[in-house]
Amino acid sequence: MAIASVSHEFQYASASHQAQTAIAGMWLFLATEVLLFGGLILSWIYSRHFNPAGFDAGAHQTALTIGTVNTALLITSSFAYALGVAFIRIGSTRGLIRCLILALLLAAAFMVLKFGLEYHDDLAKHLFPTDTPFGVTGSVQGGAKLFFIFYFISTTLHGVHMFVGMCLVLWIIARARRGDFSSAYCTPVEVVGLYWSFVDIVWLTLYPLIYLVGRG
Amino acid sequence: MASQRQKASFPPDATRLMWMWAALVLLGGLEFGLSFLPLARHARPLVMLPALPMIVVVAVGFMNVMKGPVIVRAFAIAALLWLLVLLGLGSVDALTRIDYAVLRLG
Repeated sequence: MAIASVSHEFQYASASHQAQTAIAGMWLFLATEVLLFGGLILSWIYSRHFNPAGFDAGAHQTALTIGTVNTALLITSSFAYALGVAFIRIGSTRGLIRCLILALLLAAAFMVLKFGLEYHDDLAKHLFPTDTPFGVTGSVQGGAKLFFIFYFISTTLHGVHMFVGMCLVLWIIARARRGDFSSAYCTPVEVVGLYWSFVDIVWLTLYPLIYLVGRG
Repeated sequence: MASQRQKASFPPDATRLMWMWAALVLLGGLEFGLSFLPLARHARPLVMLPALPMIVVVAVGFMNVMKGPVIVRAFAIAALLWLLVLLGLGSVDALTRIDYAVLRLG
């Protein structure tokens, strides 16, 4: 096994043991992240249950096209990263770098659409919960404000995760250009890939909660 | 020789990953289409159902949850369990509460 020739820290029995520990550590971190976003989902369930009409009114104000395009962008970005991991497993650093640059560009497009365009439109429509007058009026205003509190907190939190992920992908690209990775050693690529796909999973959950459920 | 070199430079996992991507796009399209169904307000969260297989596809296809060490699956199952406990216990009050009408005098 090629991996046997890769050096490892003294506390691990082998390089393989070190790699498995790093991957398990990332999964444990992601498990705590599930609970972080789980609290947000719970707030959605609770708030929508008592304000269904207000949540539907809020959902109707969201930009479905941007949300849907962003979903496709993130799915493809996650795919590009996974393909990059497959490339480095066969020793192709060039393939890895190309895939990661694609993943990064798609993520950047997501950020521009979300925070450059969609947030701009939301604020122009006075949909920030503290706006006076608020963009949704009538008896559903309170529920719509709750919806947009959820919307801004969850999408900002997701955006922060995206930004951290983009920095990590940049770091992996820089290390790959230095020739740090090979088919025998690519643990950091795999660990960052787990985080990158998790950010995609979070969006796959937020997308229907924000854009689809209240649109009927 | 040239075909051998080309074969070696293309990951064997690529086809599987492309199928995963296609499945995600299809499920995303299904979810998008379902959102236009005239469902009753209380039934509308059903629109989210395609998101579940989408998450499974990402976890299994891109994150390789089934291929890693056993402890990885233990952490993933623990995360699901904690999430179910959080959402289950957290929403049980809201979903089972009975609101009685209050007679306002005056």
